[in-house]
Amino acid sequence: MTSSAVDRVSRFVDELLRGRRPRRFTASPEEAEAMMAAAGLVAARAGTDLPDKAALDRIHRRLSERLDDSPHVDARFTRRVWLRTLGTAAAAAVVGVGLDEVLTQQGLTGSGAGGQAILTPDIGQWRAVAAVAQLPEGHAMTVSTGAVDAIVVNDSGHISAVSGTCTHLGCKLQPDEVDQRLSCPCHMTAFSWSGKVLFYRLKKAPPDLPRIDSRVRDGQIELFVV
Amino acid sequence: MRCKVGLIEFRAAGEPQPAISNEPAIYTNWESVYQDNVVGIYQLVFRRVGNAADAEDLAEDVLIRTLKTLRFPAPVHNVRSYLVKTAKTVLADHWRSHYAVQDLAVELEHLPLQGSAGPSSKVASERAERLLGLLPDQFRRVLELRFLKGYSVREAAHEMGVTESNARVLQFRALRKAAELEGEVMG
Repeated sequence: MTSSAVDRVSRFVDELLRGRRPRRFTASPEEAEAMMAAAGLVAARAGTDLPDKAALDRIHRRLSERLDDSPHVDARFTRRVWLRTLGTAAAAAVVGVGLDEVLTQQGLTGSGAGGQAILTPDIGQWRAVAAVAQLPEGHAMTVSTGAVDAIVVNDSGHISAVSGTCTHLGCKLQPDEVDQRLSCPCHMTAFSWSGKVLFYRLKKAPPDLPRIDSRVRDGQIELFVV
Repeated sequence: MRCKVGLIEFRAAGEPQPAISNEPAIYTNWESVYQDNVVGIYQLVFRRVGNAADAEDLAEDVLIRTLKTLRFPAPVHNVRSYLVKTAKTVLADHWRSHYAVQDLAVELEHLPLQGSAGPSSKVASERAERLLGLLPDQFRRVLELRFLKGYSVREAAHEMGVTESNARVLQFRALRKAAELEGEVMG
């Protein structure tokens, strides 16, 4: 071990911890071992080994450019990826309309990924879905009113609710209390407890989950739903 | 009209439910391979390079190299095996070309390619905890301060009551020891 090896590895670690691409240099086998162990430790920090949305988009775009003579993309598959309008997806999930049918009826619509909608049914009413005592801090629970699946969370004492249906293709979301996220079992997509997209592996970001108005009355959690 | 992606099969609306089939899942085009594997491949390479810029480039390289040689329809199992093999080659090339590391045995066999991002990240974190638990106190301390708490070398040195130069040496030795113990933790 030489002091320069120690310094080079230290600089490499500094760059990794700052999220930078490390400078290149000739490393001894001992240095390489240490550097790879460092890479593994950086990856162990929660969420650091997940690509962000922009990275996924860039990879997909470059693959598209280089594989344009590949077999044709299944048209239905592409349309599903395009289906990201919040209202359309939520409606399909709630009433059980086939997604292709919805697409046929409404055509392709613009992206709804920019903002977060509030699910406010025309004939909604406040309905008790659980007792506050059933939902301790740091926990989330799935509730259903029949027409609407929702996930209610208690985030540090603040109770809120979002749709329990993935805005991609309508799979039922699963609350993950350890990482405080809502995971889609179908296509590695996850939302925060507030309904914001955390990560996805789709061509385009799905819309955020619709929020559902909630309140606490007489020890009961109530949602404004049908 | 239907399309199988991984283990999930999509059908057009109104299409009858098929009987349960024992046929292997297949990918029908490069898009489905991308959708099903891009995050897993990214995570796999990230754990060997530790930074997003390299991980993005390498994940793309793995996918391009694999997809250029695939013919569809392709069984999911075969594609994933091929992706992992390609990832090993791409990682070895990376370390060889950028750091002149010649005899690199990248042990990727135990790294999960599939699974949801949440749990697999958790596995990586639990593995790191086990690994740190096996290290002598000073080694564990310096790595915890640097990697888990994000301390600078100066801050870590101050916290440990050593000089900065000693902290760097400790960090280097701790990482070498961690590399040595990694096999035990993988098991």
